[in-house]
Amino acid sequence: MDQNSPSRRQFMAAVGNLASVSWVTLYWPQIAQAAEQAEHAGHDHHMGGAPVPAPAGFTTLTPAEAADVDAIANQIVPGGDLPGARDAKVVHFIDNSLGSFWAEQLPSFRKGLAAFQAAWKSGGSPAAFAAAPDEQQIAFLRQVDHTAFFLAVRRLTVLGLIAWPKYGGNFENLGWKLLGVEDNHVWTPPFGYYDVDYPGFKPYPGTKPYTTEGAV
Amino acid sequence: MARKTYKPSETVDFVVVGSGASGGVMARELSRAGHSVVCMEQGPRMAPEDFEHDELKYRNLSGITNNPVANPQTFRSDPNKKAERLPGRNALTYARIVGGSSAHFNANFWRLHEIDFIEGSRWGSIEGASLVDWPITYAELEPYYTKVEWEVGVSGLAGASPFDPWRSKPYPMPPLPVKSSGVLFEKGARKLGLHPFPAPMAINSMFYKGRPACAQCGLCGGFGCEVMAKSSSVWTMIPEAEATGRCEVRSESYVFRIGMNAQGRATGVHYFDRDKVEHFQNARAVVVCANGSETPRLLLNSATNSQPEGLANSSGKVGRYLMFNKGGGSMARFEHPLNEYKGANVTRILHDFYDSDAKRGFYGGGGFDARSGGPLTWGQNVPDGTPSWGPGFKDYLASYTYWMNCSGHGTSLAQETNRVDLDPELKDAWGIPAMRVTYKDHPDDIKHANWLVDRSMEIMDAAGAIQIEPSEVGPASGGVHLLGTCRMGNDPATSVIDKYHRTHDVKNLFLCDGSSMVTSGRGQPTQTIEALSFRAADYINRFAKAGEI
Repeated sequence: MDQNSPSRRQFMAAVGNLASVSWVTLYWPQIAQAAEQAEHAGHDHHMGGAPVPAPAGFTTLTPAEAADVDAIANQIVPGGDLPGARDAKVVHFIDNSLGSFWAEQLPSFRKGLAAFQAAWKSGGSPAAFAAAPDEQQIAFLRQVDHTAFFLAVRRLTVLGLIAWPKYGGNFENLGWKLLGVEDNHVWTPPFGYYDVDYPGFKPYPGTKPYTTEGAV
Repeated sequence: MARKTYKPSETVDFVVVGSGASGGVMARELSRAGHSVVCMEQGPRMAPEDFEHDELKYRNLSGITNNPVANPQTFRSDPNKKAERLPGRNALTYARIVGGSSAHFNANFWRLHEIDFIEGSRWGSIEGASLVDWPITYAELEPYYTKVEWEVGVSGLAGASPFDPWRSKPYPMPPLPVKSSGVLFEKGARKLGLHPFPAPMAINSMFYKGRPACAQCGLCGGFGCEVMAKSSSVWTMIPEAEATGRCEVRSESYVFRIGMNAQGRATGVHYFDRDKVEHFQNARAVVVCANGSETPRLLLNSATNSQPEGLANSSGKVGRYLMFNKGGGSMARFEHPLNEYKGANVTRILHDFYDSDAKRGFYGGGGFDARSGGPLTWGQNVPDGTPSWGPGFKDYLASYTYWMNCSGHGTSLAQETNRVDLDPELKDAWGIPAMRVTYKDHPDDIKHANWLVDRSMEIMDAAGAIQIEPSEVGPASGGVHLLGTCRMGNDPATSVIDKYHRTHDVKNLFLCDGSSMVTSGRGQPTQTIEALSFRAADYINRFAKAGEI
């Protein structure tokens, strides 16, 4: 527990480049306030399939910004048989977090998004990134997936997918559904496949395990 | 029953600074002995219903831990360079609530073994390190380990491991039910001729001392326990201290300086209340149990004209010999779902590699456990070679329930240059100098951690894993086991406290927490910290009775 994995370090370093201030800030009163904001955000989002309407109900991002962020998140964790980032309304988590507990990151995030959009336009695309076909979006993201901005969106996408729904994402626990996690606070054994038929602990030669009741 | 309160102007017998693993025990034992006690805690007091399974808040937003904004730190690995703030986090992390880190720990309760106390004699000098014997032995601490298990509440199976140190009583509760990671870990380790056994955990496996059995919610490490099954100070020692009618736990009270008089005696503590208003609590004696980072910081910030280098620091050792528990392991995927998000985090461990072995070519020993992690923390990283976005990444996310961790926990050698002191520039939100952390792994720690990685992969391979991902052993830039910074010893020139936890320099000032430890052990230091606290309180009560404080 004394250090991060290389991918983590690499990722954090990249996020750190997005802004010098921390992504880990504030106290839970602000977090509670953020959750409240999320609960008031629009939840009439499209639930998969095409065509995709522009996401709505944002308090921090502009509709155009939200549309591009939503499109990026949708490529990071695409939809399909199992829910993806768009199904889980990850963009609402991103909107909410940048308006509350990570508000200090908003200017840098906007700057990164503007650079992303400018790079997209410089490739000769007349329409917004969000309006492009999947193949074009994926091809472009492959060119920029090392950038601090993309890595920040990626991190926020994962958080928005798995964090509690009260923060705006993980709509109807769809992120947990993707991971195979059931929303329950109490469990009883067996927990998984391998502990179903566990025969019990067998003592080693020379040992005498004992409890308050005596020898095992 | 109304909780006892004291006015700061009242002179209480003891102020205990910190309400965590050590502070909770200390407050209970001193108040049960008839003393008036004020137990000061930086953070707020949370009720069971305040604890949530909110991984974002607890793991990413400093929900209950020291906060990089309000409680900033600086870090450096080279003592000759300027320390800087780490991006987005602090180097040293601890819970900042009533109950301290005992509220959010995983609850692994390993005793030290006999060898931990005498490794200096066993190994002799190691270049660059200060590996010395403790001034006490396992035999002296054993009764207090047993006291922890029965008074605080630990589940386990006595005598199951051939490597266990001797014990005077069994655990008061049977082990927690095994989960799939424990079964696989046991299968793989037994196949290799190793001796995995049920993990001793400070979690109720049955109704015990008025608290229920574990609900198997799966979120222990980093979280508080809303059913009070985890044997945290906030559910165990603190209520029992308050039940004496002589102990006040004063939350949101941040002690920043120890008061001293001209005679060189502690007179109480300066602290800020929740509104950042300064107060002074009078006391006949002070016991600092603030953890291995805050205890040395408090002493260094309490310098006086007669002790200009910091209180109780005539040795110059306050804050030095900072240790973590260097470890390494692997993550493994299996054919069928394990569902590790269910059940207490750890159910099987092994101690076959606990002792150091000179044949390996380096110093170091450790233990392994099979453990789980929350989904949000897990999902942020991918193994090498796994796509970090797109359909491949999505497939990886969908495999969450098929993974487990095999984690090795080991030694960190004490080095004089690894330390906590005061940053010369940075201040916290109260205007108090921030802590500056200087740390660089000893080469043997790195070698041992890599050795642990290899063993973990062997265990997971023998267990039938279909994919094994080793952790990379890199340089430490922080930790959660905060050890060794006010080490105990018989010689006032080389240690900060004596074997009874009294500072060598100030007769009525005692220290007891992870800072007291002379060596790091092999991970899971909390039971030792609590045993030390029971023992220290025993002696402090004897000294008080004899008028020797």
